[in-house]
Formats: sequence, C-alpha cells, structure tokens
Amino acid sequence: MRRTLRSGQRVAHDGNVVVFGDVHAGAEIVAAGDVLVFGHLRGVVHAGAAGAETARVCAWRLEPVQLRIARMIARSPDRGDEPSIAPEVARIEGGQVVIERADRADDGRVPRG
Amino acid sequence: MGEVIVITSGKGGVGKTTTTANLGTALAQSGSRVCLVDADIGLRNLDVVLGLENRIVYDLVDVVDGFCRLRQALIRDKRIDTLSLLPAAQTKDKTAVTPEQMKALTDELRQEFDYIVIDSPAGIEQGFKNAIAGADRALIVATPEVASVRDADRIIGLLEAAEIPPARLIVNRLRPQMVRRGDMMSVDDIVDILAIDLIGVVPEDEQIVVTTNRGEPAALIQGSRAGEAYRSIARRLKGEDVPFMDLEETSGFLDRLRRIFGQA
Repeated sequence: MRRTLRSGQRVAHDGNVVVFGDVHAGAEIVAAGDVLVFGHLRGVVHAGAAGAETARVCAWRLEPVQLRIARMIARSPDRGDEPSIAPEVARIEGGQVVIERADRADDGRVPRG
Repeated sequence: MGEVIVITSGKGGVGKTTTTANLGTALAQSGSRVCLVDADIGLRNLDVVLGLENRIVYDLVDVVDGFCRLRQALIRDKRIDTLSLLPAAQTKDKTAVTPEQMKALTDELRQEFDYIVIDSPAGIEQGFKNAIAGADRALIVATPEVASVRDADRIIGLLEAAEIPPARLIVNRLRPQMVRRGDMMSVDDIVDILAIDLIGVVPEDEQIVVTTNRGEPAALIQGSRAGEAYRSIARRLKGEDVPFMDLEETSGFLDRLRRIFGQA
C-alpha cells in the first residue's frame, strides 16, 4: 500500500501487509501474516490474525495504540511513553509481546546491516 | 433497573462528549454503577477523553452483530471501579446499528448498571435516532450561541415526537463576564427561548481543554470549576437539590474588589 491510513480506515488481508506511509491513530490493520510499516505506526495493528504466533510487526516508528499478534494483546502505556526514535520490531517471545530495535532484533529473521 | 440518559445537542462541538465523560465520572464517583455508551459510530471520541483508547478490543457494533458478548466489550475505567465504557466502532458508520438493536442493548445494560449514559452524535439522522432509541430521558447540551440554541430547540421537538419525557438543559461554556457585558446570551435568555428546565450551568474552563486532551475527566479534579459544575449536575440527576453555583466568582480579582466596595 502506498498511502497514509487515516482514522477509521481499515485494511484486512490474509497475507503480509506492507504500508509505505503512516498509520494514524484510529486506523486498523489486520493481517494473517506480518505487518511492515515504512512510516509512523500509531493505530491499531494485528499481525498473525489467523493465529500465527511467528508473525511480526515492524515499523519505522512503532507507537501503536494497541498491538496484537495472534492471540496476544499489548497496549500502549497510559502515561506518555518516550517517542520511538528508531525502527522497531514486535514479536512474541516467551508468551508475551516483546518490542526491540530493528537493528538489534535477534531472532534470525531480521536482516542486519 | 438502571436508567438510560442520552446526552444530545443537535449541533456539534458544544461539549456532548466532554459532558458525558464528566457526568458519568461524577455519577460513578458517588457510588453508582455507570456505563457510558459511545453512540457516535465512525467518529468515536469518548474513549480518548476517558484515556481508555488503548484498551478497546471489541466495540458496540461487535456486540450488536453478536460477534462478542456485551461483557467482553465493556471497558472498566482505570480510576473508578464502578465506571464502564462501551466504545463505538471507528471503522464502520451509523448504519451499522438500528434503533431496535440499540434499544435491546440498553435494556441489557439496565440489568447491570444504575445509569447508562449515551453520548449522541451531532445531527438528527440515524446516529441520533440510534442514540435516543432506548433512552428514558435526555439532557440537552447547548452553548450560549444562537446556532446552538436553535439546534437544541429542534432536538427538543424531535425528542417530544419520540415521546421521551421533557429533556433538561445543560448550558455549557458560559462566560459570565461576557454575559455581564451584554456580549453573550445569559442562562435566563436560553431557558426562555427553549422553555425547558435547567439542570446545570458549566462555565468556560481552560482546564477542560487540558484534562480532555490528557484523558482525565475534570470531574475528578478538585478545584476545577467545570468539574464542580458536573458534580453538581450529577447530584441533581440523582434527585438532590443542589443550589446553582455562583458564577460571579469566576470574575477577576479587581471585579471582586469592586463588588466588596459596592461599585460593581
């Protein structure tokens, strides 16, 4: 997708979703596979919606209101978190959603440069 | 059995959502079990004002469509145990729900809560009809502006046609100093025009902007004038006889001095 997703817009897909643009608060992406956002992710995102726990969410700036992978739900902190300053990856590890910088992610699937 | 109260106005931007959040908070704070319902499907805001946006998993449309149970969609407030929110859907529109479905939904909520407060969308179309479908009574929010008062009058007529008992009026964002200068309609002017009972007057309060953006209702903050006004309205809703606030106090220090010396 080459556009910005605004509040109220929803993208659902049974594969991976790649967005070249921002995902605003109030927008929603639901994908059976991975979600990649080359932009600011501020909406709700659900990767692995069909149950794939290996699904990941990557964003240039990862600040979603809520992030779901398979059956796990993580929500943003209630009191202002510091803004994201680097690309980050979210995935499930040990039964919970973990988020780490993309250049440090070490699950063997993220190319490092 | 709980009571269903709809907050409506006709015109947008007069403070329906802020009023719903604060009134609900004040009612819940005094021990009642309160459920707030965001009926503004497609343009939901109540969750943001309450600071609960990040907790939404299911919404009103999911409940109505039988996609989840009502209990799953209800979000417990993070500050007050007795306050819950049923959020609106954001990716659908008003036609996703019918008045009959809303009626059934409010009847289900009645079993669990003392007060169900519904935040109506602006306008008089289907969203409004959905919002009032299950209501026992209505509170009209109007600001001291001709357009707002005119829209409120239209809404009162529609509520009468829908056979909802006489609505009561909340005058919002009143600026007593402007009224005194004759630059703004007074509460009496508005009550005269609309010919309905007043239940409260909320003064313009900068703090509302701050608290609304922060997701913390002003009703929780001691010393907030608007918050105090909302707490009074909540008590009146419960049948208490609360005297109306002396809005003169909002005037500046000099005015107060002048009044003390009898020159005002």
